[in-house]
Amino acid sequence: MAAEQQPERRKRWQEKNVLVAGVLAYLIPGAGHLYQGRVFKAVPYFVCILGTFFGGMKLGEGAVVYHAPTNKWGISLNYLAQVCVGAPALPAIRQTQRAKAPSNRPLYELSQPLTAPFTGRLVTTGGANEAPGGKLDGEIRLQTVSTGVIPETTGTFTGTLDGQPVEFQLAGGFLLDRPIGAGFGRHLESSIVRQPDQHPHESLSIRGSIPRAFTDAYCAPPDEETIQDLNRRLGKVYDLAVAFTMIAGLLNILAIWDAIEGPAYGFGDEPAPGDPPTPGDGSKPGSPSVA
Amino acid sequence: MRPWGIVEGMSSMFALLAAGELHVSFYLLPLAAVISLVYSASRYELPDKILSRAFKLFLQIVGFMAAVFAVLWFFSFGL
Repeated sequence: MAAEQQPERRKRWQEKNVLVAGVLAYLIPGAGHLYQGRVFKAVPYFVCILGTFFGGMKLGEGAVVYHAPTNKWGISLNYLAQVCVGAPALPAIRQTQRAKAPSNRPLYELSQPLTAPFTGRLVTTGGANEAPGGKLDGEIRLQTVSTGVIPETTGTFTGTLDGQPVEFQLAGGFLLDRPIGAGFGRHLESSIVRQPDQHPHESLSIRGSIPRAFTDAYCAPPDEETIQDLNRRLGKVYDLAVAFTMIAGLLNILAIWDAIEGPAYGFGDEPAPGDPPTPGDGSKPGSPSVA
Repeated sequence: MRPWGIVEGMSSMFALLAAGELHVSFYLLPLAAVISLVYSASRYELPDKILSRAFKLFLQIVGFMAAVFAVLWFFSFGL
């Protein structure tokens, strides 16, 4: 079959600065193609790669992209793939430094009063038994007061227990997770003031989480307990979430290469191998353009 | 056009996945679609070629996974 005359085509990837296009393509998937005027390719790169990356983040409850150097190379294989997605994964490097700061530690007392939305569970502890109770949803107000030698953190929980309105007085047993850490919930637990009709061997407490600031949670490294909790609750979905973010990074390598070198097989309507060459056919990457 | 039909189907699937109403294996379908589209976009420049090649690649990936599933299902039958 004789090849038809190829239409004149612009090789847009050769018309702009290759370095700028490559850097843009790395930082934001699709941005390099947008810079080159290749809008049709910029859209799927942007949507597919970032959609896969943030979809994985959502599946893994925000605790799948982090920089935790655990080997002699100073970078985990997970993060090596994830960081290829560009700007969305770069904050992990700074978050690791922030998380290692001595001031980033669990709190057993508060320096200033705390008021925050709270979701969690009522926990009954008595002897060898510890049973999770109903679901709590509401607002928590806590402050640390000095009562003698040991400061005590007291306050109230106001909200619902399994949909029924409740209010608990809180005192003692206070623990608040470190400020900078993975996940958008910050673990909090506190004991409930003993009631007159309560069993002498039984004690009640609340365990749950308050919101963590986005800037403290995004790409922050999780501690061992958080990873175990995620694996227990999410199971293989957590592994799938990690795979999503890694695949997104690896796909962006293809996009970066495309922004620098153009499409691997050309425009896609070139004559098949064996067909007689067409004069002026400049459609293959790197060959002289007819334009 | 068939490739756009896939996009519409994927949108519905994303909604179900977000609601947690599908088995975890179904997460592989949008992943296969994304890989097909990005890989094809990096191979070709013309939109029609990209979409048609992505559609074929998607079917190949899903077909391969279905074949592996069928083999595993056959050998694990009755276990």
